[in-house]
Amino acid sequence: MKTLHLILVLIFMQQARAQDLGGNAEEGERLYYDFACYSCHGYNATMRVPLVGDASGIMNSEQLFLTYLRLRADQNPVNPKNSMPNYAVSTLSDEQAVDIYAYLRSLNDDPPELADNPVMQEMLDAAKARGKGNEK
Amino acid sequence: MTDAKRNKEKSGEISRRAFLGTSAGAAAASLLGKSEGAAAQTAPPAVRATLPGQSAEAADRDIGNARPPVAVRAVQRPGSDLMVQVLRDLEIEYVAANPAASFEGLQESIINYGDTPNKMPKFISALHEESSVDMAHGYAKAEGRPMAVLLHGTLGLMHSSMAIYQAYQYQTPILLIAGRDDTNFLRSQSANDIAGIVRSITKWDAQPRTLAGALDAIQEGYRQAITPPCGPALVVLDTELQKEEAGDMQVPAYVPPQITGISTGEVRAVAKALVAARNPRIAVGKLRTARGVSDAVELAELVGASTSTRATLVPMSFPQRHPLCGPGSDTDYDYTLGLETGGIQAAIIGPHRRTLEGRDVTGIGYGFIREPPTPLWGPYAPPKPSHNDMHADAEASLPAIIAEVHKIMSSSMSNAVAVRSKQHAAANHEAAVAALKKALEDRRRGWHGSPISLARLYAELWILIKDEDWCLASPTQFSSGHNRVLWDHNKPYSHLGMHGAGGIGYCIGASTGAALAAKHRDRIVINIQCDGDLNMVPGALWTAAHYRLPMLVVMHNNRAWHQELMYAQYMAGVRGRGGDRAHIGTTLRDPFISYAKMGEAYGVESEGPISDPSKLFAALKRGVDTVKQGRPYLIDVLTQPR
Repeated sequence: MKTLHLILVLIFMQQARAQDLGGNAEEGERLYYDFACYSCHGYNATMRVPLVGDASGIMNSEQLFLTYLRLRADQNPVNPKNSMPNYAVSTLSDEQAVDIYAYLRSLNDDPPELADNPVMQEMLDAAKARGKGNEK
Repeated sequence: MTDAKRNKEKSGEISRRAFLGTSAGAAAASLLGKSEGAAAQTAPPAVRATLPGQSAEAADRDIGNARPPVAVRAVQRPGSDLMVQVLRDLEIEYVAANPAASFEGLQESIINYGDTPNKMPKFISALHEESSVDMAHGYAKAEGRPMAVLLHGTLGLMHSSMAIYQAYQYQTPILLIAGRDDTNFLRSQSANDIAGIVRSITKWDAQPRTLAGALDAIQEGYRQAITPPCGPALVVLDTELQKEEAGDMQVPAYVPPQITGISTGEVRAVAKALVAARNPRIAVGKLRTARGVSDAVELAELVGASTSTRATLVPMSFPQRHPLCGPGSDTDYDYTLGLETGGIQAAIIGPHRRTLEGRDVTGIGYGFIREPPTPLWGPYAPPKPSHNDMHADAEASLPAIIAEVHKIMSSSMSNAVAVRSKQHAAANHEAAVAALKKALEDRRRGWHGSPISLARLYAELWILIKDEDWCLASPTQFSSGHNRVLWDHNKPYSHLGMHGAGGIGYCIGASTGAALAAKHRDRIVINIQCDGDLNMVPGALWTAAHYRLPMLVVMHNNRAWHQELMYAQYMAGVRGRGGDRAHIGTTLRDPFISYAKMGEAYGVESEGPISDPSKLFAALKRGVDTVKQGRPYLIDVLTQPR
């Protein structure tokens, strides 16, 4: 089964965005909230399981995104080992899923580099200083 | 009015609240403040007569009509004074309680005993019994010793039962005292065996029949609580014992418990193996007290062992940034000793609470005592004890092991230890910096996002407290536990760990208890407070304000019971329906709750909600500055879900 999934993924990746249907990002934002996608991915899709930019392979194309959602139909036992919910057509239509995809594609995340983030840099400097005298 | 309430009132069994709402009650209440004689003459006899199970005198007293019959002290040396002396001798700093009639004698002694009014233990007002016990839970985790809690008969004990359960699960020592009175107030608030309510979730209980027995029972309760397996112990004190004349009775001298370590032969074997090892390692779990932590450090330094720690998850473990803490320069360990955790060659592990199975009268189980009826994550497999485990308290074993190592270690061995320690320190430092750098890279995502990234919250807060003496009292798993990699947990109380059983409502009470411990120790307490948790027992905020406790409350306000939202979402997915309705019953919307207003209402300086990440640091600084001045502060932060 895993091999089949991989083949499907590769096929869809090849097709990439050439076949994107073009969803409604505004509607997708509402659906992202209503379907509680933010609960794992964060309100800006940048948190625990990020989806912004190139953070996740499933965002490579609409088709891949849709396929991932539907493939989970037989992967959701009552007691989960994986917390990603199933999204069958009966609860989330293709059109709605594509809207969510469009919304996610509209998001950007441009965090400062480590060296440009004074808080993080101070933490790193403090950690380095702590070991003074312990050098090899 | 419900049928049940209507029937109850028809039968004359009305509540105190209902009574005060009646015209007779209002008449009685209006007498408050008038002279003793006037009050006695005009009490409402018709209503008093309708309260089965309560005497007319008790009814008067319940509404505040009672007055002392004569102007002299009826008892010169009340039994409860001796009880307070026992608590003083045990060095109990605080007694938390919501006031109640069943321990009025003891409460009066706590506030008035002594030539100058008593200061230790100090009476701490709690707005709910669950908070009282949670305070004791947080205090004990921070200090490694108990404070006491007073509970009212059946009712207060039931209010506190979830908190007791969590302390039991965490093996946290608490001295619980329940007042009992089956003559002077409603019988429904008493029982023959009050302790039976919580017997399954306490380590020990007693209901003494004499004053002398009560004094002994308090001391034994304390001993039981601090002797491994540690846990809450309960003493039930009849109100008559608190009020009776003690005469010339003396308070018995306290004898500390003898906590058993490993045998002399085992001590020799462990010391010999540590000294002989080319590359020894010590794995440190959760010890009992700060003394155990300093002994573990001494042993590791003595033999030059690299160590592992649980200090990012529990209190009383090895300092996370000690030069020996980390994988070390060589991970091919030839002898690993576990202290309250597994060890490959040897482990010293104190008695588990499963040894108390005989008290589990309700069959609750506690995970490892009995097989769960429905295994959730595969077949149940109890942990297999290693043949190398030594079942004795690790902390009690350490002094003898250290002494034996000193005895057998030669000067050449000491030189080798010094070289090895230096190599470990360099390697551990390098590993720690690399781990931090990776952690920071992983946490750059969403830095400028709104609601605010929890990683940013933890990072900015760390900058402000890293040079302070701090205690992170709240569990952090619901806020993604960024402290584990971003902060340095070097004190026995750096992080007080989880709830005990995942029970919501623990966080604010436990943090308040940790702040009681911190108040006179020039320490500040950090509480990353989940919104759902605060809504259970927000009254603890008042306790923090009233006693000027140094507690910073940073709201993790994700406006949901978020774990349950994800569960509901998952189930909707499994069933292929209503994926957009999982918010029903799992979210805190419409209206949103203002935690800044809630804090202000309880007297805590507060601000927020803050959703702009650029404004977070300044708010956190205001909070830390205020807490350093000895006052609680609350910041409502709109956060990412996790």
